[in-house]
Amino acid sequence: MKAAFWVIGAGLAGAGAAGLPWLIGDYYLTVALNLAMWIALAQSWTILSGMAGYISLGHVVFYGLGAYCVVVTWQAVPLFVAIPLGGLVAGIFAAVIGAPVLRVRGPYFVILTFGIAELVKYIVINIEASSGQASRLLFGTPSVTDLYLIMLALAAAATGLAWTVRRSRLGSGLVAIREDEEAAQTFGVPVTRFKVYAFILAAVIPGMAGGTFVLRSTYFETTQVFDPVISFSIVTMAIIGGSDDARGPLLGATFLVVLSELLWSTLPQLYLIVLGTLLVVFVLFLPGGLVGLLGPNRHRLVR
Amino acid sequence: MDTVLSGQLLFSALVIGAVYALTGLGLNLVYGTMRLLNIAHGDVVMLGAYLAFWLFSLGQISPLLAAPLAVLGAAGLGALAYLGLFRRQIETTPAVEKLEANSLLLFFGISVVIQNLASLAFTPSPRAVTYLDTIYRLGGVSMTGNRLAILGISVLICVATALVLRYSVYGLAIKALIQNREAAAVVGVNVRRVQIVSLMLGFGLAGLAGTLLSMTEQISPFMGFPFTIAAFVVIIMGGLGNLVGGILAGFLLGFVEIYGVVLTSSNARSIILYGVFVGVLLLRPQGLLGGRRISQ
Repeated sequence: MKAAFWVIGAGLAGAGAAGLPWLIGDYYLTVALNLAMWIALAQSWTILSGMAGYISLGHVVFYGLGAYCVVVTWQAVPLFVAIPLGGLVAGIFAAVIGAPVLRVRGPYFVILTFGIAELVKYIVINIEASSGQASRLLFGTPSVTDLYLIMLALAAAATGLAWTVRRSRLGSGLVAIREDEEAAQTFGVPVTRFKVYAFILAAVIPGMAGGTFVLRSTYFETTQVFDPVISFSIVTMAIIGGSDDARGPLLGATFLVVLSELLWSTLPQLYLIVLGTLLVVFVLFLPGGLVGLLGPNRHRLVR
Repeated sequence: MDTVLSGQLLFSALVIGAVYALTGLGLNLVYGTMRLLNIAHGDVVMLGAYLAFWLFSLGQISPLLAAPLAVLGAAGLGALAYLGLFRRQIETTPAVEKLEANSLLLFFGISVVIQNLASLAFTPSPRAVTYLDTIYRLGGVSMTGNRLAILGISVLICVATALVLRYSVYGLAIKALIQNREAAAVVGVNVRRVQIVSLMLGFGLAGLAGTLLSMTEQISPFMGFPFTIAAFVVIIMGGLGNLVGGILAGFLLGFVEIYGVVLTSSNARSIILYGVFVGVLLLRPQGLLGGRRISQ
């Protein structure tokens, strides 16, 4: 009954969101595009980092690989092939590095993911430099409306995916891994396999989101699509919103997109200072995030 | 092959290795005694470098005189961080894993705040000073005065710190804390005092490294992260609490970086640093404590 309510609500919200381009101006449409992208990224992130507790501080690597893939194949293959290809490349990368990387636990996993993202960034920078290009120009990129609709679909897919995984055997296994990996293994959870699956699932949509968002501007610069600030923002969104519930990343992403609209264009440094401070405050005082604040109250109302 | 064996390269590798050893030593103290994963360590290096830069460009004060000031300033920051944030965090979080993960996120937030405050205050554009760039020639190797100073001071401070830790009561208390916090408290170590001193010392060493670097490197608000990464490599390779091992690992990393760049290209520098970092973590997935955690 309650699930049906949420599904209907989400359907209505989705239909409304899809109609936005014909209702609002270009500026707000760009904001909506940003919002959809961050929701797609933060929801995907929770599949590994929220459920299994393996906090990835290098999620930008999938975003960047997807973006790079679309840029390299730009005007050589059609967009409806290039964007899924970006997701595929991100997924394959996750599958290849998954098993060794996911052996590393706790905080070492966190800094390792950061290191991998930086390593891949510098490798791509070197590849681009050796081909003699500092940046590439992209001609004939799609309209904001098209990009928005693609991104909206990705955001919906990521939310749906996180929702589905959370209720699946895989999701239960991942939560068991987060609570106690040894115990989970003892009870027969295929620990390594589940972690790698979660890693791949968490990587594919960010790859496609990167491939889509890179077409927002008409030039491509490697450092921009592999910017560690993107990873940092994803983590902060999930921690501010709370990552135990599909609503957490929605709240966190909305909050930060509004904040970024207010501050980014005028004072990007101030935006990041606020972001860093929020991260510290939430880790110290509100580890459950905004959803954690909502949680107990809701139960009290039910009683 | 001649270039690879030249004294010039050896000298460069020693200089950068000495700086890595110094920063690694600082992080080793902080991580070892408190299990705080200080990902903002490199930002303290950056602040030290800016202090030296401003004192030199505004007051013509030598970076070598700025060094003690930077040590004091950074130590003060360390004390503030301990009293303001981490004392409570350490004492209310009994599980080491949780403390490590939380401290990593906290320091990451702090790092972003420091970098962007510095970028607001100093502008993001890189700066550099020219100081002590007289060239000395020794056995066919040209050395600038500033690099000689970096090498000499870093080695001196590393050796002095290692000796103090080995022979003084404080050093023994720090080592006891690295080995086992509860047992150290039982035998009468004042845990809080040792922790705050370690954090101040660790930050101070990072600030010192910053002032030394300001004489040869370009400085910018975002210069710190590679030094954090290098410091992590140093303590993972050298072993937690193993200060001598850490110092050797610092020099080893310097050699790998310099010779790697010579054998490939100067663009490969970051790839080598992050590659070594990723490789070291993949080879030691159990983390910095190595096998010891299993027995706990």
